[in-house]
Amino acid sequence: MNAIPVLTIEDVAAVDGVLEDFLRKTEADLTVVIDRGGNVISQFGDMDVTDVTVVAALAAGSFAATRELARRIGELEFNALYHQGNGTHIFMNSVDEDTIMTTVFGRGTTVGLVRFYSAAAAQRLAEILKSLRHKSPTLKLAPVSSATVFADR
Amino acid sequence: MSIINYASREIQFKVVYYGPALCGKTTNLNYIHQRITPQNRGDLISLATAADRTLFFDFLPLNAVVIKGFVTKFQLYTVPGQVIYNATRQLVLRSVDGVVFVADSQWEKMEENVESFKNLADNLAQQNVSIDEVPCVLQYNKRDLPNIAPINYMEYVLNNGKKRLQSFEVISSTGQNVFASLNAVSQTLLHKFSKQDDAPQRAPAPVATPIESPLGRPHSAPV
Repeated sequence: MNAIPVLTIEDVAAVDGVLEDFLRKTEADLTVVIDRGGNVISQFGDMDVTDVTVVAALAAGSFAATRELARRIGELEFNALYHQGNGTHIFMNSVDEDTIMTTVFGRGTTVGLVRFYSAAAAQRLAEILKSLRHKSPTLKLAPVSSATVFADR
Repeated sequence: MSIINYASREIQFKVVYYGPALCGKTTNLNYIHQRITPQNRGDLISLATAADRTLFFDFLPLNAVVIKGFVTKFQLYTVPGQVIYNATRQLVLRSVDGVVFVADSQWEKMEENVESFKNLADNLAQQNVSIDEVPCVLQYNKRDLPNIAPINYMEYVLNNGKKRLQSFEVISSTGQNVFASLNAVSQTLLHKFSKQDDAPQRAPAPVATPIESPLGRPHSAPV
């Protein structure tokens, strides 16, 4: 897996620029870029809609789970998945082989519009992420605290 | 694989609880969810069957501040232990940063423990990761049951790799040593991550950490 080890403020700004443009055009509520392991790379929009961390884990699982289904009909994987709710829906599309874009939207827009603009957004994101993967991280963090990480109440 | 985000000042780690069916992986997460300060955790998500067997995974996000200036997010997952769900285990293991291997201490489960540990190594190898490179701790669970194997035997059959792993005697249903093992894997992966492993390391405990007293301290020195 081609991981993105470090995201600088500039990297996130570049990714967020694409997401902001996508949300403005589609009028969706929230969009989250995640890796296939379920980690959040970046998010943009109304964070009160849902817990982004949980959505990332479940979306990665959902995408992975349908891969075998796609293979059964001769596809490598499904490029996009759509979950329709009564008022709120989720659209997920593949950005590259390591990344997925997940969009939450409601009655203010349509799945057609989200799907249409997601293709261009995914392409722009893929280009940005490709350049990040080739960057070698040189940043060094402060030492880790030796205190207990988690306490039992 | 961890992600450091300098814009949101967050670091994400993925820790997977692995082990044979019904060994207590979900019980570990349930206990952690119940006992950790609510501000430091998200919802526990379980994708389980009607009979409470894990179908896909359980997921519990935790927050901590262990690196100055960063919120460290630990995402705890379990895998389904049943043999037939190996494809699911491979998916959940994707980009893993640390592993807690939960072994069932009962004699009749020993073959399943060994099989599952080998399966973990095989599934990591499929991601081109050696089990010796991944921060990993062992839990010898269900130490309160009558028909359990002695610790020395469990060490002999499970902790026999190139690298001796830290191991813990655990009763996940009451939470004994559940946090100790979570903290051990967290510290191990944080130290690996911050490249402090260049410094001389404390040798791992040769045998399992004994069960804590009700006050949370070990009741005796390691055997």
